[in-house]
Amino acid sequence: MWTVFHLQWLRLKREPLLALTFLVLTVVFVFFLAGSQGVQTITIQTYSDELSEAEIDQWLERLNQSETFEFEHNDRSEVEDLIRMSEISFALELGEDHYQYLVGQESHFLGTANQHIEQVYRSQLRKEEVKQRFPDLVIEERDFLKMDIQALTTNSSDNNDIVTHVITGMTLYFAMYTILLSMINLVTEKRSGTWNRLVFSPLKKTSIYLGQLTHYFCLGMIQIGLSFYLFYHILDYNFGSQYFTIAMVLMAFVFAVVALGMLVMGLVQSPQQLQAVIPIVTTGMAMIGGAFWPLEIVSNDILLFLARLVPIQYGIEALKGAILYEQNVVELLQPISILLLMGVLFMGIGVNLIERTK
Amino acid sequence: MLEVEGLKKTYKTTKAVDGVQLYLNKGESVGLLGPNGAGKSTTISMMSTLITPTSGDVRYNKKSVLKHPDIIRPVLGVVPQEIALYEELTAYENMRFFGKIYGLSGRKLENKVDEVLELVGLSDRKKERIKRYSGGMKRRINIAVALMHEPEVLIMDEPTVGIDPQSRSYILDMVRKLNREKGMTVLYTSHYMEEVERLCDRVYIMDHGHIIASGTKDELKSILSGEETVFVEVQQMSLKLVEQLVAHEAIQKVTEVEKGYKVIATKGEDLLADIFKLASTIDVKITGIHVQTPTLEDVFLHLTGRKLRD
Ligand SMILES: Nc1ncnc2c1ncn2[C@@H]1O[C@H](COP(=O)(O)OP(=O)(O)O)[C@@H](O)[C@H]1O
Ligand SMILES: [Mg+2]
Repeated sequence: MWTVFHLQWLRLKREPLLALTFLVLTVVFVFFLAGSQGVQTITIQTYSDELSEAEIDQWLERLNQSETFEFEHNDRSEVEDLIRMSEISFALELGEDHYQYLVGQESHFLGTANQHIEQVYRSQLRKEEVKQRFPDLVIEERDFLKMDIQALTTNSSDNNDIVTHVITGMTLYFAMYTILLSMINLVTEKRSGTWNRLVFSPLKKTSIYLGQLTHYFCLGMIQIGLSFYLFYHILDYNFGSQYFTIAMVLMAFVFAVVALGMLVMGLVQSPQQLQAVIPIVTTGMAMIGGAFWPLEIVSNDILLFLARLVPIQYGIEALKGAILYEQNVVELLQPISILLLMGVLFMGIGVNLIERTK
Repeated sequence: MLEVEGLKKTYKTTKAVDGVQLYLNKGESVGLLGPNGAGKSTTISMMSTLITPTSGDVRYNKKSVLKHPDIIRPVLGVVPQEIALYEELTAYENMRFFGKIYGLSGRKLENKVDEVLELVGLSDRKKERIKRYSGGMKRRINIAVALMHEPEVLIMDEPTVGIDPQSRSYILDMVRKLNREKGMTVLYTSHYMEEVERLCDRVYIMDHGHIIASGTKDELKSILSGEETVFVEVQQMSLKLVEQLVAHEAIQKVTEVEKGYKVIATKGEDLLADIFKLASTIDVKITGIHVQTPTLEDVFLHLTGRKLRD
């Protein structure tokens, strides 16, 4: 098995163009998309009936520590006008120890904005609580608390829902592309006769398959790993702390994709046709599965049903769970096991199809 | 040592192999001769455990290969009809890989690579990618790869298709050497009768999935003992002469060849005289005439009424 596995690497080393191209493409796309999202700041209109000017300014200062959002002070009546004219979709009302939104229409920024605002409020209120309980310790306490606040704010501004969506969606999409296109090798090997050479050698069938498939699996993992590594270091993207969970999700996803590859190779057995089919399958699945836009904006029931059938949807969902909400393996057991199940199913059908046409 | 019994393979509508019977004794060099589509490759695929027969069996040292593929795989060397190599890798890498697959490693593997490269005459080009090789060189490596594990039995499926005469000659000499000097048992498949004639002790002739004749070269040719082949060279080709010749009671077949005709006839005293007579009556000038001992090609022609290659 390892001989077959090593051989595939050797071949890849000789003709690395495909894999490299897709790695570069992933990074370029994410930079382009995530970059353009990151620079854009979202302005949120803010008003208050309860607070004084000075108090409002204090709150705005705290809120504006985020780079993603810009909070502007305005009058209630003017804000209401803006909402009525659909110029803005929602506004923030500040209170002394609470806040609320005036919502005109739904916006997918609201969730992200709320995350940020809630954190700012919560830490501020906690700070005040401490101040009240230990009035003497105020000065000493303050420095410590300030650090705490900063850690929280960077975390929330980094884990932007949209950026995370782009990063996970694009990475998985391109990984799928690389894996499937590389797997054309399998079909070419059958054609060229080298596959037959392996079959009539003393090697076991399972070793041949395992050697091959492990290679494609590792290839996918390495591409995703490298992409994430680059995002982490260059984009300063924060993957949270659930590294183990992220790795598990990725492994389940890549396994499902390799298995999907087997199914595709079983159904279409000419390299030329595969060159045409794979882009359609990959891009189609990525679109349906929400790699290019969040599924939240899709309202068609049929499309939403189809989304449930493609691996990439579960991959993105689970990755976002791990990165944004710090969910662990147990919490993400459902998408992970669906991916594994799909993998087993595809693999079974795929191997049978491939073996039958012998 | 290796026996094939009642082997059949049916694809949906075609009977690719239809009851083939053959055997190989240790150290023999046996030819499997037949035109394209005769079922040679399918027979070989079944012998090498690549595909399962519809019925029949292949036995190695009296044991069924179908039930125990593992007994034959390590001792069998197969040279496929197509160039089955990793084209982006070098000859050296290909040979190393297939050597490893058969369990070779370390010093032994390296020595074997060198030895086989020497044998196929490509030692100086081993670091070049297969892609850059000429057709003849690819064919040689295609064979080399099958020799890495010193197989007891070497099965070759048309190993010289589409290459230059020098490479072909080289390969034929090489196979002969393996057979004579190393005692390797060889099954050589081809639709070139000259090759089989030159290499093999025994020959099976195959057509439409059947073995239509078998035996030593002499045995096969004795099928034609009652016949002779006459080449008639003429100054000018003439349809009329063909008509006249075919009409002759002793003549069975007339085929056009370069500058004249090949005539197959029942052996008789005055055939040559008759041919001269016929020609002179219709004013065709015969520039040369010679009688040839029959070839396997003639045997095939006799048995099927067709040429090996069309
Ligand atoms: N996989 C296959 N499916 C259907 N028909 C096949 C297949 N392989 C071979 N055949 C048919 O079986 C016959 C014998 O083929 P083959 O063994 O390749 O002949 P040869 O090697 O003597 O040229 C041919 O008519 C060919 O079309
Ligand atoms: Mg053939």
